[in-house]
Amino acid sequence: MEYEKENSIVEMMQMQFPEAAFKVKKERRIEVRLPSARLYDFAVRMQKKWNFLHLSAISCVDWIDDGEFELVYHFWNYDEKVLVMAKIRIPREEEGDSHFETISNLWQPAKFFERDIHEMFGVYFDGSEDMERFILTDWNGPPPMRKDFITREFALNFYHYRDYEPQWLKDMMAAGEGNE
Amino acid sequence: MSKIDEVRDYELFIGPNHPGISGNFSFKMKLQGDKILSAKTDAGYLHRGFEKLMEERLFIQNIAIVCRICVPDPDPNENNYARAIEEIAGIEVPERAKWIRTLVLELSRLASYLFGIGGHVATTGLYAFSNWTIADRDRIMELFEELTGGRVYHIYQLPGGVRRDFPDGFERRVLEVMDYIESRLGDYDDLAINNALFIKRATGIGVITKEQAIKWGVTGPNLRACGVAADVRKDDPYEVYDKVDFEIPTRTEGDAYARTIVRRKEIEQSISIVRQIIDKIPAGPVWNKIPNPLKWKVPAGDAYVRTESSKGEYAYYMVSDGGRNPYRVHVRGASTTHGVHVLENLLAGSRIEDASQIMFSLDACPPEVDR
Repeated sequence: MEYEKENSIVEMMQMQFPEAAFKVKKERRIEVRLPSARLYDFAVRMQKKWNFLHLSAISCVDWIDDGEFELVYHFWNYDEKVLVMAKIRIPREEEGDSHFETISNLWQPAKFFERDIHEMFGVYFDGSEDMERFILTDWNGPPPMRKDFITREFALNFYHYRDYEPQWLKDMMAAGEGNE
Repeated sequence: MSKIDEVRDYELFIGPNHPGISGNFSFKMKLQGDKILSAKTDAGYLHRGFEKLMEERLFIQNIAIVCRICVPDPDPNENNYARAIEEIAGIEVPERAKWIRTLVLELSRLASYLFGIGGHVATTGLYAFSNWTIADRDRIMELFEELTGGRVYHIYQLPGGVRRDFPDGFERRVLEVMDYIESRLGDYDDLAINNALFIKRATGIGVITKEQAIKWGVTGPNLRACGVAADVRKDDPYEVYDKVDFEIPTRTEGDAYARTIVRRKEIEQSISIVRQIIDKIPAGPVWNKIPNPLKWKVPAGDAYVRTESSKGEYAYYMVSDGGRNPYRVHVRGASTTHGVHVLENLLAGSRIEDASQIMFSLDACPPEVDR
């Protein structure tokens, strides 16, 4: 049977999380959509029971038209050699930070990923010990990875094309000598 | 606070132009005499906002951006980017192109290891060794120049294959360079790897236990130096890594010396892989034509692709909404763990003279952290 290993993992997980929507994307890749309130329980079980010891990454996607942020947690199992992509959606706050719970107490790498998402998307992870600015320490604008931050517009407003007409140039032009 | 405490305890800022720091990176350290009490990484000196830029450019344009994310080992970026598009759009890659990509990835790994080991050994004062390895790395740069036109950045792996086939006689020159590098390994061992001075400086420095390594999210050669035989090339094979034979060298000590030994042994494995590729590579086309890249919409979907870079696990999460530009590209570099909290953990409690060595032994790549 195709994807036997992946399907048996999905079956096992589905028993514990009947509300989740699982899908085997391809060999060694499983996708699951969860209600956001269940993510922490899912993460605990992934680590403690199902042996997904490696948190490969946390990605954030700004679905501005839906008014939601999607957080995608990528878990890798060293023994089964399977990657589970857990997707949740949280409301996108227009003003100020969106909030979600941290998993940095379970996985140390989450500290960096969550800090990065906070800085770039404005999603605050409650309970994380380190939500400080990391890369954009001098930045006062909105979180730049949000879709409503347009780089080109910002650059045109922030930097100015200047008409370059210094006095010495005007003087030279006015002097009028030459052989034209 | 007594007078002696005032003199003994101090704060120190190291970087980003300090010769002992690899790239544009810095630390804020609290020290007591020579001992580091705590260290905090301070990045962002090379932040170019690539992830954001990619969202505003065509799929084809970003190939020139992604390779710049990691300077010493750019090809895993190109490979991840191309494979992510291929997975989303369902593009088939010709067999020969897969073999060529694997060759390019291994050459890049070799070049990066030579650079990395040389840099590490130099932090202990043996500069002659780094001059050797960097000069030898140049031979691989010449191969890249011949194949792709670029020495450092190659912009070579397109969605659907690679940009062009081998030039005439390229296989022979690859084998010559491999023979040359192999002939140098004995010299490397004599000068650095088995040098009593280097062994004394690197042994027992920056020790990571197996449990810590898993918990801290350590990957790649750094993980294999702690006794875990994990390698994306074996565990999650891509391109033609399931069709070539190679071993995964491991050590159990988990210190700076073990990490160097693992890289040194992997050089041999990479040379062997390159030779197998030259031996087995099939004939055929190298690129399956994609639609006009200037008017190309990639269907909606997402993909998480991983490669084993010389630094560790390297992954891209790409989302397409069916438009002309990628909707989101998240770059997960190996150094986002190694260069930040793994390094912070290891520096606390170590001595100031070992700080550079620990950083180089982890092979952390600051441009990856900044993106």
